[in-house]
Amino acid sequence: MSRSTALGLLLVAPALALVAALFLWPLGFSLIAAFTAGGEVSLAHFRKAFELYSTDIVFTLLIVGLSTVLIALVSIAVSGVLTLSETGWLVAVLKQLYRWPLFIPFIVAGQCMRTFLAKNGLMNNTFVSLGVLDPSQTVSLLDWRGIVITFVWKQAPFVILMLAGAMASLDRSTIEAARNLGASRLRSLIEIVLPQVGQTLLVALVLSFVTMLSVLSVPMMVAGSQPTMLTVDMAFRINAYGDYPTANALGVISYAMTAVAAWIYLRHNLKQQREAGL
Amino acid sequence: MTHKLAFSLALALGAALAAPAGAQTLNVATAGDQNMVDYIKDYLGPMFEKANPGVKVVAVGTGPGDSGSQKIYEKLAAQKAANTEKWDFDVIVAHQKMSGQMVSEGLLAKYRDRIETGKLVSSATAANALGTNVEGFVMPMFQSQTAIAYNPDMVKSVPGTYAELADWAKANPKKFGYNGIKGGMSGVAFATGWVYAFGGDADKLQKGPYDAATKGGWDNALVALKAFNQNAVITPGNAGTLDMLNRGEIAMGPVWVDMFYTWMNDGKLPPNMKLKLLAPGMPGQPMYYAVPARAAQADLAAKFIAMATSPQVQADGIVKKFNWYPGIDARHLEGKLDAATWKKLFTDLTPDDLSKNARPFPIAPYFNDILESYEKKVAN
Repeated sequence: MSRSTALGLLLVAPALALVAALFLWPLGFSLIAAFTAGGEVSLAHFRKAFELYSTDIVFTLLIVGLSTVLIALVSIAVSGVLTLSETGWLVAVLKQLYRWPLFIPFIVAGQCMRTFLAKNGLMNNTFVSLGVLDPSQTVSLLDWRGIVITFVWKQAPFVILMLAGAMASLDRSTIEAARNLGASRLRSLIEIVLPQVGQTLLVALVLSFVTMLSVLSVPMMVAGSQPTMLTVDMAFRINAYGDYPTANALGVISYAMTAVAAWIYLRHNLKQQREAGL
Repeated sequence: MTHKLAFSLALALGAALAAPAGAQTLNVATAGDQNMVDYIKDYLGPMFEKANPGVKVVAVGTGPGDSGSQKIYEKLAAQKAANTEKWDFDVIVAHQKMSGQMVSEGLLAKYRDRIETGKLVSSATAANALGTNVEGFVMPMFQSQTAIAYNPDMVKSVPGTYAELADWAKANPKKFGYNGIKGGMSGVAFATGWVYAFGGDADKLQKGPYDAATKGGWDNALVALKAFNQNAVITPGNAGTLDMLNRGEIAMGPVWVDMFYTWMNDGKLPPNMKLKLLAPGMPGQPMYYAVPARAAQADLAAKFIAMATSPQVQADGIVKKFNWYPGIDARHLEGKLDAATWKKLFTDLTPDDLSKNARPFPIAPYFNDILESYEKKVAN
């Protein structure tokens, strides 16, 4: 082993030790607890998890999936404006505004949405006082819609930050060529810009997907508990019954969901590397 | 030089630590939220110190909920296992479940018969903590109770029973809200009351003995609850129910009585809101004062509890300050409270209502069965 390799290993050792102690070790424990009962390998905890929480598993997947799609649309639209718009003030305002939610923790966002989205909350009251809505027409959004809105509001800026950055570093001549040949801005966004930043978009969306899957405060604060997301069920399993094995089984189910996201990402990554001849 | 300095520092530190011990320290450990610690530190402590010169009251908070009581239990159990002669806590304030366990493991002392106020207690929870006999070992500090809060402007004929409530909810869809069972205890209490009302023998659930087959008999009750939920709003948490009542989005919902009055005092609920205790009963729970079996200051501890459960302190501290129900029989408070406070606490729910329809939570194994059956048959 050369001197530099040894030094390199030494440098990464603390990081590796941290990952091992704080992630791999507890992960191992949680996997063992999920797959064993009374010292023997068993799927009993998974049977229980499906028996009690099958609706919540589907609900979680739908909420996070829908949020990811909406985040993608919002961020493409906003990044597109930031990159292609010729209206100077719009770009300036948008640039200033879009990052704000990044600095707000999920729990604060949850607390704000709880009063903002309620039937007689800030949003509906504003509509009513503007004469847009009649008080009898207002509806509460404090259910699955509230969770999706909070997630999109909170995660879209993160994706925009990465996506707009990637778009800004593109070779602008490709865009200008398209525009010169008469392509509309929308068309250049979809056919010229997006394909070049697809990789960045995918990475940002996968990261958002994983983040949203792990949020406890938002489903807890914004929506009632029926149905609810798996994080709430895990917390309840532990707080009400001290039942770690079933909570761990639920944890493994959410690892499985993240694993699907990671697999899509890796597959795409490999394909691109092959195409690039690497 | 450095040695000398360290030595004198240690000496000074030792003296500082030893000083209060010489002057009698009463260590009070309390589970529950910060308001419990403040109640002892800022209210009971100074009062007791004034009445007993030379005594210092030290309040220790161990955290909210059953896990706070769990920590007190762990400490006492460890000191018992280590065969320590004098244990660190003189007075503890704990929830029902762990108090029962501490009594059955011999961690607490029998003291209630020795104090004057012991005779003023009438509640069944003073003798029975979720199925464990705790007679003589505990004094209820307060009783907190769940009830249905409603807006009289929106509810003309107020349901008096669970069955009437179910009909009302059908006639007024989405006007009743509760927080399910994962968003706090007021929803848990409502669901438990539902099983008491429609699930068969409620007495057995509250007193035992436990029989694992009992839960099979709740199926009809839970199917009905699932149908009821179709007409109800599931709110986000105990505070979520109160919020929605405040904004007029729902007309009725289960709440903790103390939270209800505290919110109303803070102007966060309309002052015309009212409470109703549904028959055949909704659950509530006390917290207990108890003395560890080998408390260093056992006599002082009993004296402290006697003061804390005296009618005047119960009236001023428990009822007036925190809107809880007294731990001792409410009849002994009459005359100690100003008329307005008395009226407020006992107008909607009369002492008669409370003695008839205030129920304890079920014994621990039935409690878990109710929650899990709800998850399986109602929520999923």
